Amino acid sequence: MSTAAAHTDRVDAPGAAPVLELRDVAVHFGGVKAVDGVTLTLEPGRIHGIIGPNGSGKSTLIAAITRLTRLTRGELLLDGKPIDDVAPSRLAGLGVARTFQTVRLLPDLTVRANVQIGADARAAAAGQRRTRRGWRDRLRGGGTSPAVVEAMRRTRLEGFEDFYPAEMSYGTQRRVEIARAIAMQPRLLLLDEPTAGMNQTERAEISALLQSMRSAGLCQLLVEHDVQMMIDTCDHVFAMNSGRLIAEGAPREVVQDPRVQEAYLGRRWREHARGQ
Amino acid sequence: MSGFLSTNLVLVQSTLSGLLLALSIQVPLRMGVFSFAGAGSYGIGAYGAGILVLRYEYGALPAIALTVVATAVVGLLLGLLINRLAGLYLAMATVAFDLIISVVAINGGELTGASTGLYGIIADFTTAQMVVLTLVALALVALSERGRLGRRVETVREDPELAASMGISVRRYRLAAFVASGALGGLAGAMNVLVRSTVGPLDIGFGLIVLALTMIVVGGSRSWVGAVIGAVIFTWLPDLLAVIGEWQELVYGVIVAVAAIYLPRGIHGVLADGVRWVQRKRRDRRAAAAGVVEEDEDGGVRPPEGEDLTGEGGVPLPARAGPDPAHALDQLAARPQAGS
Repeated sequence: MSTAAAHTDRVDAPGAAPVLELRDVAVHFGGVKAVDGVTLTLEPGRIHGIIGPNGSGKSTLIAAITRLTRLTRGELLLDGKPIDDVAPSRLAGLGVARTFQTVRLLPDLTVRANVQIGADARAAAAGQRRTRRGWRDRLRGGGTSPAVVEAMRRTRLEGFEDFYPAEMSYGTQRRVEIARAIAMQPRLLLLDEPTAGMNQTERAEISALLQSMRSAGLCQLLVEHDVQMMIDTCDHVFAMNSGRLIAEGAPREVVQDPRVQEAYLGRRWREHARGQ
Repeated sequence: MSGFLSTNLVLVQSTLSGLLLALSIQVPLRMGVFSFAGAGSYGIGAYGAGILVLRYEYGALPAIALTVVATAVVGLLLGLLINRLAGLYLAMATVAFDLIISVVAINGGELTGASTGLYGIIADFTTAQMVVLTLVALALVALSERGRLGRRVETVREDPELAASMGISVRRYRLAAFVASGALGGLAGAMNVLVRSTVGPLDIGFGLIVLALTMIVVGGSRSWVGAVIGAVIFTWLPDLLAVIGEWQELVYGVIVAVAAIYLPRGIHGVLADGVRWVQRKRRDRRAAAAGVVEEDEDGGVRPPEGEDLTGEGGVPLPARAGPDPAHALDQLAARPQAGS
């Protein structure tokens, strides 16, 4: 199937209430303006992407959204409600899940237990009390939630349940991180370079996985260096450079935007290309 | 059995109180809190129970209950005060707390018996009661290593930022660590003074920190099993080494040094690695028999022949387009920003 054909399957949600809004968000570290006046909107059932060269502020923006970095100015609205003062640990309860730029798994826990941490977060947020069976499971070392089984199935980790992170490749560890985030059953999923360290086949699998989750109404924000993957996966792409948004729109249009090409390749390269 | 118990009663009692003291340092360590406040709580527990029994004629169990509650509250207050500290600074602050307790004990006048301490603390407290209370505390600690709580404790220690993103309030867990440490230390001190009938400033000094740390380093810092191993070894070892006289100090030191260098996760870590190795061998045998999961040369999962990669409700993989300007970006995107 062609890329264009794949795009026709996408669930567009024009006019749907945004899941997340950023209004004039800035994060400054002393004189360094890591993020400077970013305004954007993320809608349900859509995959949004952020591209930009190294140091453009993509990961800082994710850190700001997850409240791990304090805003210098601006507003964050989740479902229309401000979350500027919400503690990072409360965001999971509000339906926000994330993966990190580097793999962050717990080395002494099995894959199953690592993914179960995501389901735990969901259960704690929902205020689920333990049943008698739950207590029996706990005494035996804890049972496996249906959310964990489903997350591992979607990320194709069946059979890896009893592996420890050190026994798996980097790419498979990445999948465990994604499974952990999926097990949280979030409304907003933030993925910071989820395919870093993966081969082409694995990247394609992750792309397909993210697209399959969109149909359930999940809002996703993806930060990636792999521009082709962004074109294949995202509905809407934001391009950043030096902490600012420089372009947004359909993925293919954004990557062909002269400002974006200049940000990636430099003005001289563009002038050189134009001259040929 | 009863003959062995009566012959070694003091060692058995010391093992139990030593185990709880080790746990009072190990439990916060498991939550990433580098605190030695358990030793200070031990002092408060010992003097508290002693004073309640000696001066106010409390029964053993009410005295223990009161001191455990008091040391838990002191732990909470200490936690609120120094919760923002981390690493060595936190450790130093808790050592200072322990030293303050020692100074208060020495300068407490008639109440604490000053430099001579308290004597003749006779209470209706039996070794059987001590065993039961220790087992209850041990069971609670063991439970905290399992299930959801165990995973959350692990997350708080290994990666506080990840913990926050998983909805875990790191601050709350750190405070809980101080409370648990206070209660365990207080219980250890209270029970020890009630079976010994005496306590003095020298019993609650800096040596307690060294003893507890030694037990944890050699036994293992990640599980209650390590604390049990450490408590047994370092309570019984001096008695077993008595035959070599003053050389026992050397043997003691060599054991600690060897454990610190070659067994960074203690004896329990070695046992856990052994169990994991056996599990891996069994798993590999099962996988080889079933021929299910294996990683390919690039480390990716090799899907069964002909299976759809997308899963339920999945969208088929988009094919890569032909020549595309984005391919150039794709290649160059990972490079540092070019000068513009």
